[in-house]
Amino acid sequence: MKDYWVLLGSFGSGKSELALNMAIHAAKSGPCTLVDLDVINPYFRTSERADVLEPAGVELIMPPFALDKIEILSLSARVYSVFTPGEGSVFFDVGGDHIGSVALGQYKPHFQNIPKEKLHVLFILNPLRPTAADLDSAYATIEKIQLVSRLSVTGIVNNGNLAGETDHTHLVEGYELSKALSEKTGIPVWGTCGTQRVLDAFDAYAKEHGLDPTYIGQYQPIEVLMHRSWDKFLSEGL
Amino acid sequence: MAKKLMKGCEAIAEAAIQAGCRYFFGYPITPQNDIPEYMSLRLPQVGGCFLQAESEVAAINMVYGAGGAGARVMTSSSSPGISLKQEGISTIAGAEVPCVIVNMMRGGPGLGNIQASQGDYFQAVKGGGHGDYRCVVYAPSSIQETVDLMPKAFDTADNYRIPVIILADGLIGQMMEPVELHMNPNPVLPEKPWAAQGWDPKGTRPRAVINSLYIETEDLDGLMTRLNARYDVIREKEVMVEKYHTEGAEYILCAYGTVARVCKAAVRILEENGVKAGLVRPITLWPFPTKAVREVFEQESVKAGLTVEISNGQMVEDIRLAVNGIRPVEYMGKGGSVIPSAEDIAERILNMRRA
Repeated sequence: MKDYWVLLGSFGSGKSELALNMAIHAAKSGPCTLVDLDVINPYFRTSERADVLEPAGVELIMPPFALDKIEILSLSARVYSVFTPGEGSVFFDVGGDHIGSVALGQYKPHFQNIPKEKLHVLFILNPLRPTAADLDSAYATIEKIQLVSRLSVTGIVNNGNLAGETDHTHLVEGYELSKALSEKTGIPVWGTCGTQRVLDAFDAYAKEHGLDPTYIGQYQPIEVLMHRSWDKFLSEGL
Repeated sequence: MAKKLMKGCEAIAEAAIQAGCRYFFGYPITPQNDIPEYMSLRLPQVGGCFLQAESEVAAINMVYGAGGAGARVMTSSSSPGISLKQEGISTIAGAEVPCVIVNMMRGGPGLGNIQASQGDYFQAVKGGGHGDYRCVVYAPSSIQETVDLMPKAFDTADNYRIPVIILADGLIGQMMEPVELHMNPNPVLPEKPWAAQGWDPKGTRPRAVINSLYIETEDLDGLMTRLNARYDVIREKEVMVEKYHTEGAEYILCAYGTVARVCKAAVRILEENGVKAGLVRPITLWPFPTKAVREVFEQESVKAGLTVEISNGQMVEDIRLAVNGIRPVEYMGKGGSVIPSAEDIAERILNMRRA
């Protein structure tokens, strides 16, 4: 039976980055498919990183025309193929906010047949993004996303970051917000995500200040594949 | 306020709100859609009004109405949508109504593409709509600078009763960078006695008429005289320009917006190769920093200039007018959203040096 991972969250919270990293990691131990389900944004799509996904052995399902730099984003019929029986893992990288999560709703009949322990629905949280900066807005977003995606979130991911200027204090901010959101919703914190350097600094801080491991979850180290620094923009464009 | 991770479009919208903008009228087009999207969420929270108009033409005329009533108002679009707004912009200029218009330039002509471009320089700087008028044009080169310029844009619009254009591109709109916003929950707006805010029949307040129709020759001449006097003050007071390593430079790069950021990297590469190069970056494209450009080129050390654009060569005309033939000025760039690399620019200067 396949493991299904659905990554949801506010626009710009880091879903694609985490999806890419998790898929590449999962491909090391079995078949792995990444579904680019973003119908919101013609820029910064996981599909753009086929160059790293294919060599890593990740099968990529992307919307037709996704890389044609046009604005008509439709969903591929191939998406249904991931619900056939088999082994390995499937990752869904979903568009931002509840607007992006709408694309998931149509797959409800398929998702409801997946046993609970095989379906992981992660809500990615970055308090440095103004649209998810406090408990009220994060709570409103998670509620709306659950409504339209017709899925229940099973875990919160602390992805506190300020792109190239990230340090452990941003994860501390993310910890506080993840904890508050977890207490309010009853949804556990699945993990804390960042580059290894930032995770190490955060771990040291957490131990020193006695942060509750329940609200840290597992550490998910990532390599920055999506976010573009100014230099990358110049070489790759939008 | 501490830094936040924001997309250019979001940051511009929030900066406008912090500058006192409470009205936004627009119509969707990529790559600026995140501005109306953000405004639709935020403006109701601050007691403002967001409206998606039925077209760009309708949107700019709503801007005309709100601006005429004295409100701080903004619209945004990308190149083809800005073309559709031109009649309204001309009307707004003629009626002396302040407003802010954001153009996240994309490739053209026609529908072009949805990548970054600088193809709308002529349109923004030389008119766009019909008639003798000017818009103040700001050309920021980073998200932070765009945010910093927003209060200035609204103030300039109000002070001179003139439409102000923020001429950015798809890169600035779509990029995500750490940015620091200047929060200002209760912005104080200037008095606007000329605005159509209700007439007092007792005659204590003159009837405000917002109009761009002046049938009698002397009346239109009156408007033109008034506008020209105002444009002269703007040319005198509102020019903004950045000079980067220009003192004693042999070669002067000229660029605005995102390309200027590439040029700075080129300057550093050239310095590493023992070539003294500098950059003149107009921040206001109108009023154009003619004097500053000329002064840089008048230095004895300067051999030649190179204007770099993501267009087929538009600003280069104004650079050449400013330099007025005292030094040769070459052009480098491409339409079609191709952004030159710092290495290519440095190579071009090295070739000019060998010639």
